[in-house]
Amino acid sequence: MHILKSRPWNLPESSATPEALVFGRRQAMALGAGMLAAGPALAQQAGLPPAMRNTRYAPGRAITAEREVTTYNNFYEFGSHKTISAAAQRMPLRPWTVKVEGMVEAPREYGIEDLLSRMPLEERVYRLRCVEAWAMVVPWTGFPLSALLAEVKPLSSARYVVFQTATLPSVMPGLRQSWYPWPYTEGCTIAEAGNELSFMVVGAYGKLLSPQNGGPLRFHQPWKYGFKAGKSLVTIRLTDQRPVSFWEKIQAQEYGFWANVNPAVPHPRWSQAQERMLGTGESVPTQLFNGYGEFVADLYTGLQRERLWA
Amino acid sequence: MRLIGPVLLALAAGLYLGFGSDPLGALLFRLDPGLLNLLQAVTQRYLLPMLWDDVLLPVLEAPAWIAPAVLGGVLTLLGWMRARG
Repeated sequence: MHILKSRPWNLPESSATPEALVFGRRQAMALGAGMLAAGPALAQQAGLPPAMRNTRYAPGRAITAEREVTTYNNFYEFGSHKTISAAAQRMPLRPWTVKVEGMVEAPREYGIEDLLSRMPLEERVYRLRCVEAWAMVVPWTGFPLSALLAEVKPLSSARYVVFQTATLPSVMPGLRQSWYPWPYTEGCTIAEAGNELSFMVVGAYGKLLSPQNGGPLRFHQPWKYGFKAGKSLVTIRLTDQRPVSFWEKIQAQEYGFWANVNPAVPHPRWSQAQERMLGTGESVPTQLFNGYGEFVADLYTGLQRERLWA
Repeated sequence: MRLIGPVLLALAAGLYLGFGSDPLGALLFRLDPGLLNLLQAVTQRYLLPMLWDDVLLPVLEAPAWIAPAVLGGVLTLLGWMRARG
């Protein structure tokens, strides 16, 4: 009888890395070696490593034009209007470090290049629904938040993840409004953070993430309103205390902790039943959990007494 | 004008005694945390972004007593000149 004895190095065919990703990485490594030879200044301009598209999260809509996504932005540190992209170019994205701290076994500080090289990058085309009733579809490049959390090993007592945006007064005019509770802070539960959709974004449209879109590192949970996505992150902290977010401190009635998309629950000043697509202007019905219910609805079982929709 | 000017000067004095050099923005934020956000959104989205950054924000950053003091002083002066002329 022929007996197959499995060795630790025997891997199933399904574990094999796709060919395009392997050769893409080789090309990237060759490019990186060339840049190192050319000097640190050139290496700082390195582009986004290649990343395969994960087709598990099909958006069901056309991707929004890159120009729309990079010129119509909410980034309150630069202003309240949508044309902050020019002002945001003054924000230096290199060098950039991100601390992961708090209730973790192994707190760490990452350089952004370190994150780019060690995290499992992939592309995901996600819908984004703004609380202001507009929406877009963006091919983000990034990595699951769970991959980052696996490195720092959250303590069992950690219940929330808090994200803090950089405070750079020399380039962010909004910080002159000293009465606001800077830095911009957002958060989610540890269960939400561990959900497979929770994504740390480092790029879009195959390029490094632009400053106006929250470069070099932002967060995105596509089933929540966009303001929950902290941009230009410098600190990720695990804690047992539920954070009070920036907007929650200013207007809790309009911007709550959970902020899950729900077309049946209107904003105090407008309906959330429809959304206007950036670029086309088309008005389309908004979906519960922005259409991601199959991935996330279970997170909220037993939380009906919470204000889940604002 | 002869009445409003002195009233604004009195308000400025009251704000100085009550809040010292606290910015006007901080005072308004304490009164209504959402007020300035709404004002900024209306100004920057429907009027002109620079109007907020270059005109209104400097006023909000200044101590709360300055705006009524300047306005009150000007109105009092105008009222006095008008009374003389």
